[in-house]
Amino acid sequence: MTTGELLLTAWQSDAFVYAVAGAGVVAYAARMQWKLTRRALWLVLAAVVFLLAFVSPIGVLARGYLFSAHMLQHLLLVLVIPPLVLSALRTGSKEADVAPGAPGAAAASGARRFMLPWLAGVSAMWLWHAPTLCDAASNSIGVQRLQTVSLLVMGCAFFWPIVGPRSARRLPPFGAMLYLFAACVACTLLGILVTFSPVEVCSIYAHPVDGLGAMPLLRDGWGLTPKADQEIGGLLMWVPGCFAYAGGMLAMFARYHREEAADELAAKEAA
Amino acid sequence: MTTATTPHASEAAHEHAEEKGPFSWVATVDHKRIGILYLLTSIVFFAIGGIEALLIRIQLAHPESHFLDPETFNQIFTMHGTTMIFLVVMPTLVGFANYFVPLMIGARDMAFPRLNAMSYWLFPLGGALLHFSLFAGGAPSAGWFSYAPLAETPFSSNTGTDYWVLALLVLGIGSVAGAINIIATVITLRAPGMTIRRVPLFVWMTFITAILIVLALPVLNGALVMLLIDRQLDAHFFQAHGGGSVILWQHYFWTFGHPEVYILALPAFGMISEVIPVFSRKPIFGYEFVAGSTVAIAVLSFGVWAHHMFAAGLGHRADLAFSAGTMLIAVPTGVKIFNWIATMWGGKLRFTTSMCFAVAFLIEFVIGGLSGITFAAAPVDWQMTDTYYVVAHFHYVALGGTLFGILAATYYWFPKMSGKLLDERLGKLNFWTMVIGFNMTFFVQHFLGILGMPRRVYTYPDLPNWGTLNMVSTIGAFVMGFSVLLFLVNIAKSVRNGKPAGDNPWDAWTLEWATTSPPHPHNFEKVPPVRGRRPLWDLANPGKNKVKTKIVEIATYDKAIVGVWAFIASEAMFFIVLILTFVYFNLSTKAAAAHLDVKTTGMFSICLFASSFTLHRSEKALAAGNESGFRNWLIFTILLGAIFMFGQASEYQKLFTSGLNVNTSLFTSTFFTLTGFHGLHVTLGLVALGVILWLGLAGDLKGRRHSSAFKAIGLYWHFVDVVWIAVFGIVYVRNIL
Repeated sequence: MTTGELLLTAWQSDAFVYAVAGAGVVAYAARMQWKLTRRALWLVLAAVVFLLAFVSPIGVLARGYLFSAHMLQHLLLVLVIPPLVLSALRTGSKEADVAPGAPGAAAASGARRFMLPWLAGVSAMWLWHAPTLCDAASNSIGVQRLQTVSLLVMGCAFFWPIVGPRSARRLPPFGAMLYLFAACVACTLLGILVTFSPVEVCSIYAHPVDGLGAMPLLRDGWGLTPKADQEIGGLLMWVPGCFAYAGGMLAMFARYHREEAADELAAKEAA
Repeated sequence: MTTATTPHASEAAHEHAEEKGPFSWVATVDHKRIGILYLLTSIVFFAIGGIEALLIRIQLAHPESHFLDPETFNQIFTMHGTTMIFLVVMPTLVGFANYFVPLMIGARDMAFPRLNAMSYWLFPLGGALLHFSLFAGGAPSAGWFSYAPLAETPFSSNTGTDYWVLALLVLGIGSVAGAINIIATVITLRAPGMTIRRVPLFVWMTFITAILIVLALPVLNGALVMLLIDRQLDAHFFQAHGGGSVILWQHYFWTFGHPEVYILALPAFGMISEVIPVFSRKPIFGYEFVAGSTVAIAVLSFGVWAHHMFAAGLGHRADLAFSAGTMLIAVPTGVKIFNWIATMWGGKLRFTTSMCFAVAFLIEFVIGGLSGITFAAAPVDWQMTDTYYVVAHFHYVALGGTLFGILAATYYWFPKMSGKLLDERLGKLNFWTMVIGFNMTFFVQHFLGILGMPRRVYTYPDLPNWGTLNMVSTIGAFVMGFSVLLFLVNIAKSVRNGKPAGDNPWDAWTLEWATTSPPHPHNFEKVPPVRGRRPLWDLANPGKNKVKTKIVEIATYDKAIVGVWAFIASEAMFFIVLILTFVYFNLSTKAAAAHLDVKTTGMFSICLFASSFTLHRSEKALAAGNESGFRNWLIFTILLGAIFMFGQASEYQKLFTSGLNVNTSLFTSTFFTLTGFHGLHVTLGLVALGVILWLGLAGDLKGRRHSSAFKAIGLYWHFVDVVWIAVFGIVYVRNIL
């Protein structure tokens, strides 16, 4: 089997994945009262990425062949799809979002508002990479479904204070930058551990059941020994994963400048 | 400071406040005097480091030279590197930050003036410790990054490396304290109207640098502590023969070392961002991009350290990932360069000495940056690493970049600090000799590196062209030495009889130019209103600022709380290093299970966790004005903490009597280091809580005078508890799972 053949043939159909993507799109459309807006494009993009993560060779290889493909899938579920979904949910006007009640009360509950989401986002990375859970997910299709859904939910929880639909409930930009940075440190640590760990994170990837006949290509053609495979997985979490958070931080910085500029303009117009 | 007037505005008040005599300089807590102390001390170390550089160049001037013996050569290049980085460039940048950050944001002083004085005095202490090694058996000789195992006792048996470690620890603590101070100052002391969007770029970049210091220095400190334990207590963290890992030292060193590169560069970027607009008579082009790219550089700098280790054998996959990350860093840096050039484009340029150095900075830094990108490709790195090509590269960055930035800033800000202008004729001579000398010294080293001349070797054979190129380099170094002398003469001459500068000699627009030169001890009579990024320009051109915007109030934060959060971030990094080391060495051993008693320690841990709750009750009681409740809960907290410490002491006692020591195995080394440092932190927390209790008993907390101090110490105590949750989970609980 050549790389080209692998990319052409290693596609799979998965009713569960279609169901999740379909349900998401329908729920979204219902919420938007079946009106097509430009924001809906974000959701379409999220659904496409979600489908690709499971139906394409990424999904096929993640299922028992390559730890690195599994990691890529994992990163898509936690770091890419949730912000896309949340961006689609954002409402247009700013005033309509302002939560009732004194601003002081909102600030007081602030710490609680971001601690749990942050923990959810970091646990999404750490929990499912504990060797026991990682093996459980690869041995049982039920656990695997649970993993997929929980990653999406925890990812959404994590990004809620950053790009959540109600801008009044979001973290202020500099707070959001700290939030992302702290998460980046936590995930980088895991990436480093996975990269250099002598312990196999997921034992199934050491001895794949080769239904496709792709193993010769992966082992000899691509040179991916189980150790190399795990290293790439760790590095994916470490380097591009870190850059995803860094990108988020820059976006928050840009948001600060945009909001301040708008405020200054408003103050000028008022005066 | 709700109004724009400082509290002590009357003429008599500052007459009174002016301190006289040499002792007043020792006892000072004025940020301006401390800034000047930093700069003057740096000049002394600059002279020492510069003489060391000249000795190196004399030795290398011709082939097969025996001017210096190999051991002395090793000591001199180690001292040169360590001195220039830790005792010259870092303190110089901190000195400028100290002097100008409060002035530029319209503040009266730094957030914690006494902490500021402590940070400064740790600097000469660290410098003295490093140089004391000369009298205690020889200077350190393992290079500025002290790679293990070379820096371990079997290969560096004199005490030089121990002094190197101690000096760096002292300097590191001082730097972290200084950085926390800068962070608290920028967050809490900005004048009304000075939003983060309007702070001068020097302030912004210094602020980001301070964050880098707070996060990066503790990684070095953690590694230094382990190296010291290796050397003094015979542990084997970084020695392969005891199971330790020599690569681990490299990882830790460069996790610190790469952000350190930006700690040295960012403030210089900030200086350039002040100088170029003023002498181009244009506002900075793309403020948001210059500020934002700084954030990008800072974040990326933590993710690319392994590019210093391409030759260490991390494997192709790691090399590939870090190559890509490293090349990415060139993007935000390039963004800055283009912004500076665009600022000059179409401007009314004034080529003062300051501006000349700024322009030279652009050119030299681009050369250093380009050679840096060549290193991002791992195969090029394998070919060039540890040759003079590296030496050329980082001198273009650190000297052509940072030092030129510092010189530009000195010519720009000296009038503010002294009230006198530096001599421009001498200045231009200083500039040209510096540029010519610098390029002569280091440009040829690119070729030497490509020809294969290794760095850190005391001499070289007489190969074709090597002698000539080295001689050019040595002559260049002396030209630079002459240039530095000119610079010092210029300062000495101008301090005494330079032209009076006036308040704002360059017609600049940031707040430091709104006060007298030099400023009063309390900085401003009246802080001008801040309605934009160029408050003095707005003031001078009232007609052009068409609509008067109202002055925005700055959100106020408690400086003690901001300070303690920054401190906690720093401590967290320190503990992450110790915990990672524990995990790394104990991932697949079961030693912990054999020696540790999870149940007993668990009981004592519950006491520590409970103490967070009792402390919380104490804080609540104080807030409610319940004096006795506050006191009793606080005493209870201290008791619980003491019980935990008793538990740890008895556990240690048991391990010691069963023959387990810090040097017994990697498990004991990592265990005692991690839990020991945690215990030390608990003890310090207990002392702090004791002080609070004492203040409380004296009734000092009633007037809310110290209540934010109590809150800050409370946060620290909770943090120590959280660390123990992690430690207890990883060291103890993991074993029963």
